[in-house]
Amino acid sequence: MSQADIAAGLGVSRQTVIAIESGRYSPSLPLAFRIARFFEIPVDEMFDPQEEVEA
Amino acid sequence: MRVFGRSRFVAPVVVLVAGTVIAGSIAIGHTWSDAAIAEVVTAFLSIGYYAMTRSDSDIGAVYGNRADERQLQAVSRASRNAMIVMLAIAFVGAVVAVAMNDAYWQFDVLGSVGGLSYFISLLIYGSHDESTKGPTDLMSGQSN
Repeated sequence: MSQADIAAGLGVSRQTVIAIESGRYSPSLPLAFRIARFFEIPVDEMFDPQEEVEA
Repeated sequence: MRVFGRSRFVAPVVVLVAGTVIAGSIAIGHTWSDAAIAEVVTAFLSIGYYAMTRSDSDIGAVYGNRADERQLQAVSRASRNAMIVMLAIAFVGAVVAVAMNDAYWQFDVLGSVGGLSYFISLLIYGSHDESTKGPTDLMSGQSN
């Protein structure tokens, strides 16, 4: 699945998908839930704030 | 109306209208030929803006009225920076004008209106205290 496909599925730009993937942007709660639903993964598995603190 | 609100034509049309108004003022205060030049420059600028709305980039999305939440955040930061620069220029302009014993009211108006807009925006967009004295139960979305 391409970044453009994911962007279209989430209703955001390709640049935003890239920014989230690279950790340069933290999505809002509604977008985080949309992403989790899109990938059919619980939101707390998809985004782990502890991981960012440790990094 | 919403369709126009998200249209790629908004930015080019705003540029075209603003440029045409300026060209009109040039026609009144100067010559028709100067006004015609201003209008031609405006037309090219407007076409340039329209071309930018097509680009697959943050700038293209912003000018094309299809910005997502991250791009709107960038717009907010860019607007803040632009306002800081404008206020700084108004301040420097006022200082220089006063030092040269020249008219400084233009800079005063820019600075005052900019500062007042900032204050009013904070009032509008800031969080409003709804007097929750007791502990708040975030889980249920209710307060005691």
